[in-house]
Amino acid sequence: MMRPPGWQRITTVLRNPREALTLSRGNIELWANLLIILCALVFMVLKGATFAVTLGTVFGIWAMLSISLNLVVGYTGLLSVGHIGFFGLGAYTVAILTSTTAYENLRTGEIPTFGWPFFAALPVAVLVAGLVALLVGIAFNRFRDDIYVLVSFGFAIISFNVFLNFRALTRGAFGIHDVARPQIGNWVFDTELELMLVSLVLLAIVVGISWFIVSSSFGRVLKAIREDEQVAEVFGYRATHYKLAVWVISAMMTGLAGGMFSSWTTFIDPNSFILLESILLVSIVILGGLATIWGSLLGALAFVLLEEGMRFLPFLPQEYVGQARQVVLGVLLVVLMMFRPQGLVGRFKL
Amino acid sequence: MLNYFSRKERLIAFLLVAIVLIYIGWRSISSPEQAMQFGFNGLSVGAVYALMAIGFTLVYSTVWFFDLYYGAAAALGAYGVFYLRSQEWLGGQYQVNTPVVNIILALVVAGVAAWVLHAILYSRLRERVDPTTLRIVGGLLAIALGAYTGLVLTFPSHLHVTFGPVAALIVGVAAIWGLRLLFERLNGGRGHLAFQAIAVLIGAALAIYIGIFLVNSPGSKLYLSWAVSCLIAGTVGLALYRGLYVRMRQRSRSPLIMLVASLGILLALTACISIVFQSAPRPLPDPFGSVPWTIGGANIKGFNFFAIGVAIVGFLALLSVLKWTSFGRAVRAIGDDEEVARVVGINTTVIIAIVFFVGAAFAAMAGILSGHDTAIQPRMGLLLMLKGWIASVVGGIGNLYGAILGGFMLGLIEQFAIWDLAGEWKDVVAFGLLILFLSFWPRGLLPRK
Repeated sequence: MMRPPGWQRITTVLRNPREALTLSRGNIELWANLLIILCALVFMVLKGATFAVTLGTVFGIWAMLSISLNLVVGYTGLLSVGHIGFFGLGAYTVAILTSTTAYENLRTGEIPTFGWPFFAALPVAVLVAGLVALLVGIAFNRFRDDIYVLVSFGFAIISFNVFLNFRALTRGAFGIHDVARPQIGNWVFDTELELMLVSLVLLAIVVGISWFIVSSSFGRVLKAIREDEQVAEVFGYRATHYKLAVWVISAMMTGLAGGMFSSWTTFIDPNSFILLESILLVSIVILGGLATIWGSLLGALAFVLLEEGMRFLPFLPQEYVGQARQVVLGVLLVVLMMFRPQGLVGRFKL
Repeated sequence: MLNYFSRKERLIAFLLVAIVLIYIGWRSISSPEQAMQFGFNGLSVGAVYALMAIGFTLVYSTVWFFDLYYGAAAALGAYGVFYLRSQEWLGGQYQVNTPVVNIILALVVAGVAAWVLHAILYSRLRERVDPTTLRIVGGLLAIALGAYTGLVLTFPSHLHVTFGPVAALIVGVAAIWGLRLLFERLNGGRGHLAFQAIAVLIGAALAIYIGIFLVNSPGSKLYLSWAVSCLIAGTVGLALYRGLYVRMRQRSRSPLIMLVASLGILLALTACISIVFQSAPRPLPDPFGSVPWTIGGANIKGFNFFAIGVAIVGFLALLSVLKWTSFGRAVRAIGDDEEVARVVGINTTVIIAIVFFVGAAFAAMAGILSGHDTAIQPRMGLLLMLKGWIASVVGGIGNLYGAILGGFMLGLIEQFAIWDLAGEWKDVVAFGLLILFLSFWPRGLLPRK
């Protein structure tokens, strides 16, 4: 049974309300949970159902992303800033396979369109992300700590440049239009409510897989490797293989989120996959908490609320919303690193 | 980690490098003019990377983490020049000079000044002078410095009058210090009163001459604005160190925590810059005129020579300070073992703070040079930071020679790579090479021993 961190605190607090005001670990977790969930509820009530539905889709995508990145950061201790690359790979694979808009390339003539259905393209996207992750992971396996951060920055930059400049396939800065919506038989999921449904079902799959990984013996070995690689090696576990495996799985789930994203927006261009988004993703994972699935869900929820909440601040001009969100996240990162390096409900300190 | 690859694989790596070099050599012989052009462009881009890398390496070799704030420092430096000079360049088109920014920067300077005065002078003078008086005087001095900063920033069109004398004073003090060291060195390590008097006289004369010259020449405003930007970026770096990093380092020694915190700072500061200046690219006009010189068939801007010169002079100055002064010895001692350095009586907090200041000033200079060369935008810091980081890692982690070598090498490789590929792939080349290179030489070309 999956219990969010800070849950068991509730009974203590109910028995003795004065306990709630002390600054213990359990209380911080409890208040973080309550505050963010309360904010979400208040927001939904204030803005109405349609808005909540759109928010749900976005939340699903960000939550998938942060859960899969958390598998790498929280369970292997490797801080990857390059996951946006796999996100983009998934998104572009689905877009290229399902788009039906013809596109004339000046140099190579017309590019064929495939016109696959969404649910056929999605597994391919996951496989492509996994395959690239395998190759990248083999190359990255010998790095760690700050050098790992640098090379994963490198992967993000390289993949962005490939999306931007490999025009024969990705159509460069023009982007790809008319990405197919999910479809089963004759049922096309093209209202916001149906899209949210798909997004949340995919999220549930991701949560399920992650939960299975984390609670199985595989997850325990990962934790052991994270804490002390040499000890784990002495017990006969090949640390590199385990790290590679979780890296590939995480990339595949990121690719899944990418496919969903591309189908939701129906138009993608390289600007959705810039390095900055990757840094934001890392900050969501750290904000929510390392090595907990619940924390990642919470972090994604807080991020989505932050973005939408800022839009309604009266004194903040609309064009500064993105920047203001960046400032808030940056300051939050600094504050968390100073006082709570494990994040709000985390179980592992960097 | 070092012996990850067998001898045979290293041999293959060397062969690959040799093939690339031979290919470049062949291309250069077949079209020397183009080679000259690309080589020169590479050196001038490399100068910027080298300056960033020097900043990174300096800090990394003392406190052993990469301070990603330097990306923001580069952007701060470039936008500082824009902030101070835009009104005259662009004829009041942009009204960026806002009191809010000036006040914030003045407060930062005042705070840093207060801390520096306290850390350096307070404990020394406490024995002789009444502590309360000391506190009041120090506080007043800090407030005065803050007010002065506000004054300089509020009237950028009179920069040569407001900041010229101070710049002259800084040059004079640096000259006195340098001359004294030089004389001592020539005299076999012993100081002499006559030498000191000569040094002071020369320094004072120089300061007065430069001061009078600067006040009377409004054309010097551009160069003064560079100095102001570097000082401000350095001060912000120092403030971040004192305000955040010191406390974080007390709590945890993990380099990743510091890295993530500085990433947060980079994120926040970049966003702040784009709130103040908007995120569209802006020009910084070429200070030496844009008419290129033709040397050996290559078109070369005078500014490129200047950039290379700045990188080399900066490197040499830093190197000699680290090598020959007591400050340099302290920095190296902290790099070797901070605890021991503290035990033998080095004021580690102050020394590290100065290191952060200098590193950020170098990064700001890199940002200014890059901004004059192309254009400035708030996001420029991120890519510059990454390039400087690559250069410092490839050159050799924690080694200043490695930083400047890595910087120029990265610039050259990028430029020679776009000779055959299209220019848009140059970032891919840089990072691809980094990953390939680190696989074979995980500690860089010239690792610190």
